[in-house]
Amino acid sequence: MRNLVLSAFIMLLAAGPLFAAPEIGGPAPEFELTDTAGNRHSLSDFAGSKVILEWTNHECPFVVKHYGAGNMQDQQRTATNDHDAIWLTIISSKPGAQGHVSPERADELTASRNASPTAVLLDESGDVGRMFGAQVTPHMYIIDEQGMLVYKGGIDSNPSADPADIPDATQYVMAALNDLADGRAIAEPVTRPYGCTIKY
Amino acid sequence: MKSILLAIAAWLCAAVPTALAQQSGPVQRDHVVVELLSETRSIQPGIAFRVGLLIEHEPEWHTYWRNPGDSGLETRFSWTLPEGFEAGPIQWPWPERHEIGHLVNYGYSDTILLPVRIEPPADLEPGQDVTLTLKADWLVCRIECIPGSAELALTLPVGRDAGGASAHAAAFDAADRRRPTTVEWPAVFSVDGDRVGVQVQEISGIAAADSLVFFPAHPTLVEHADDAFFAVDGDTLQVSQKRSPFFSSLPETLEFVVVDTRRDTAWQISAKAGSLQTAAPEVARDSPRSLAVILLMALAGGILLNLMPCVFPVLSLKALNLVSGSVARPRAHAGAYAFGVLASFGLLAAVLLGLRAAGEAIGWGFQLQSPWFVGALAYLLFTMALSLSGLFEIGIRWMGAGQALTERPGLRGSFFTGVLATLVASPCTAPFMGTALGLAVTLPTAQAMTVFLALGAGLALPLTAIGMVPALAQLLPKPGPWMDTFRQVMAFPLYLTVVWLIWVFANQTGPDGMASLLVGLVALSFALWLGARPTVNRPSAWLAHTATAAAIIVSLAALAGAAGMQGGSNQSPSEDFTPFTSERLAEINADPERAAFVNMTADWCVTCLVNERVALSTEAVRAGFREQGVVYLKGDWTRRDPEITRYLEQYGRNGVPLYVFYPADEPTNPVVLPQILTPGTVLEILD
Repeated sequence: MRNLVLSAFIMLLAAGPLFAAPEIGGPAPEFELTDTAGNRHSLSDFAGSKVILEWTNHECPFVVKHYGAGNMQDQQRTATNDHDAIWLTIISSKPGAQGHVSPERADELTASRNASPTAVLLDESGDVGRMFGAQVTPHMYIIDEQGMLVYKGGIDSNPSADPADIPDATQYVMAALNDLADGRAIAEPVTRPYGCTIKY
Repeated sequence: MKSILLAIAAWLCAAVPTALAQQSGPVQRDHVVVELLSETRSIQPGIAFRVGLLIEHEPEWHTYWRNPGDSGLETRFSWTLPEGFEAGPIQWPWPERHEIGHLVNYGYSDTILLPVRIEPPADLEPGQDVTLTLKADWLVCRIECIPGSAELALTLPVGRDAGGASAHAAAFDAADRRRPTTVEWPAVFSVDGDRVGVQVQEISGIAAADSLVFFPAHPTLVEHADDAFFAVDGDTLQVSQKRSPFFSSLPETLEFVVVDTRRDTAWQISAKAGSLQTAAPEVARDSPRSLAVILLMALAGGILLNLMPCVFPVLSLKALNLVSGSVARPRAHAGAYAFGVLASFGLLAAVLLGLRAAGEAIGWGFQLQSPWFVGALAYLLFTMALSLSGLFEIGIRWMGAGQALTERPGLRGSFFTGVLATLVASPCTAPFMGTALGLAVTLPTAQAMTVFLALGAGLALPLTAIGMVPALAQLLPKPGPWMDTFRQVMAFPLYLTVVWLIWVFANQTGPDGMASLLVGLVALSFALWLGARPTVNRPSAWLAHTATAAAIIVSLAALAGAAGMQGGSNQSPSEDFTPFTSERLAEINADPERAAFVNMTADWCVTCLVNERVALSTEAVRAGFREQGVVYLKGDWTRRDPEITRYLEQYGRNGVPLYVFYPADEPTNPVVLPQILTPGTVLEILD
């Protein structure tokens, strides 16, 4: 009886997930959001290109770590210039919560930080964030030309708020893009996302 | 004005030097006050001591455990120590679960001390002061998060002797009370589909599963927001939780903490990656001690069996017979009896283990699943009871074969007494020792066999001892006329055993089957009475023999007829369940409005009955079923039912209980519940 009890336990199935985060190798969920200029963008508009999603909250110390040191901006430029990728920065903070910004303020931030995303998308309802299972800022996703999710996780391998840790850490998004460019399988397609909780 | 300026100057003078020369605190940082403390007033060369960082959080703010959960960051220490000093890792107190929206973090609030053990060198010169410098980094969060850091220094004198407890020793005691006990229980973990399973063997002190909390020290193994399921079964603990969406590869080892929130204790366990044991626990294989304990228990259980109402009458008479002096070689008889018991226990165990190896889902007491066996046993015990009551004298030629054999002079008779004792003991072993023996069945075959033989040895022991040791026999009362009365009294426990067997038989075959069996018993007693009557003349003897034969035929036909009958379930019809059929289940699954809860059970399955009592039949669960429009389907496997067997096979099972919930909107994605239920587990699945 005992062995049955135990094996039964292993077979326990999920009791209904809160949100079904997309799996690596599976299709990324389609979404449509408005950017800071009022243009609608949907994921399918970018079919044929690699798309990088970056969840952000400019007041989060972990986001400050990577923007303050210029790391995030460098990655945006490398991705869009060298890899012909689309870089979408998404803000899912709800109105009134930390990180929530008006379109104008978002543009100001982009300018003042010298950032160069393809677009900054506003997701006040948090629907798209939840759809992807985004938990923290920064939280990174890469979708390939066929619309398949190929990377999800952290920005780098050192979960800290100290910019001094950046040079020694593996920059996962850059590593993944290089793997793709060289026709290799992505070495680490899933990593630990670290940062501030998204203020849904 | 002047006094204010003076005060400011004084404050500046006091503050500036301490700010320059590092201090141990307390220092104020964003939303926390931190301080570096020592447990002892001084340190001794070569003797480890503890220091710790005390963090006082503002209300609602917290810092994090070694695995912060879905977001956040663990607190980190970096030490600058004098030559030869070594600092250990943080002795993490167990954390709290903080829920933020749909995410869960593991951390601390209020006041917490993070102690660290420091080993000074043995050649430290007493009389000097040493300074320990700590740079602590943390993240303090409410909803928003702020990284914090402090550099603190603590100066302690070095003494030749122990300096005694410092003023902060109580804070260390408090931290120790919240520190999990590191245990060496063998544990494995694995990721199976979208779930992580952890199995811990040889646990002790963990009784209830419902107040446990699981904290894995790995950030991307489990989905922290998902509630872990726990099952405690004997000395095994099992935990199952959803796999993290950010799980990438299996670590070699997993450290985790299990907290019993009700009893405020916790254990820190290290598990190796590996498949969870589903068959024989390695415990028994590796540790002879636990097998020895099982064997001793089996032996004691066997001795206890001698007092059972079904066995005692038979054996007490045999014992008196053995010491009455009428037996020529009591030792040889005792040996033959013991051999009879052991041989039949061995045979029964071999059949049981053989069937299990062949994949049959049976437990000890399996023979009682057959109405044939139960009915035949009722006949046998009834015959013996009638004999004890004096309806007929034991030893009549055509009587029950077993009893006839036992009455044979010579060693064979004693051997068959042993066989008979085993046989009549079986209805008592099943209810009283079923669980323990069920456990033995999961051991490797050789060990399981020794457990069964130990039980047999226990059963044989008292009578064998009486036969072997004359001194023991002296203790028994001298044979005399009182034995007749004793014998008649002994009939009554046997009648009660017969009643119990009839009840079991009635559950298996229904009221008609029971009536048929009772008719059979009456026919049997008629045959026995008639056969025992002295025959006076030839024609009536012929008639009597014919009538006796007829009565025996009637009783056997009655048993045969009854054993073939299908019993209804003995569950009271007032319970709101529907009998399980696959058609009914398909019908409910086709209806998007209705969910189904399937319970596969059997009367002889103790776990099933307990689950029904504590969970499924409770008002809370039944109300939950009613509110959610759940159809409660119950399959009764008390007797083999091929439809239920097939259903069990679908879920990879060969036994009950099995609980499956089919959500109304997603019947193709059924949820298998653990085999140990609480109302909470069931209600949670319904939501």
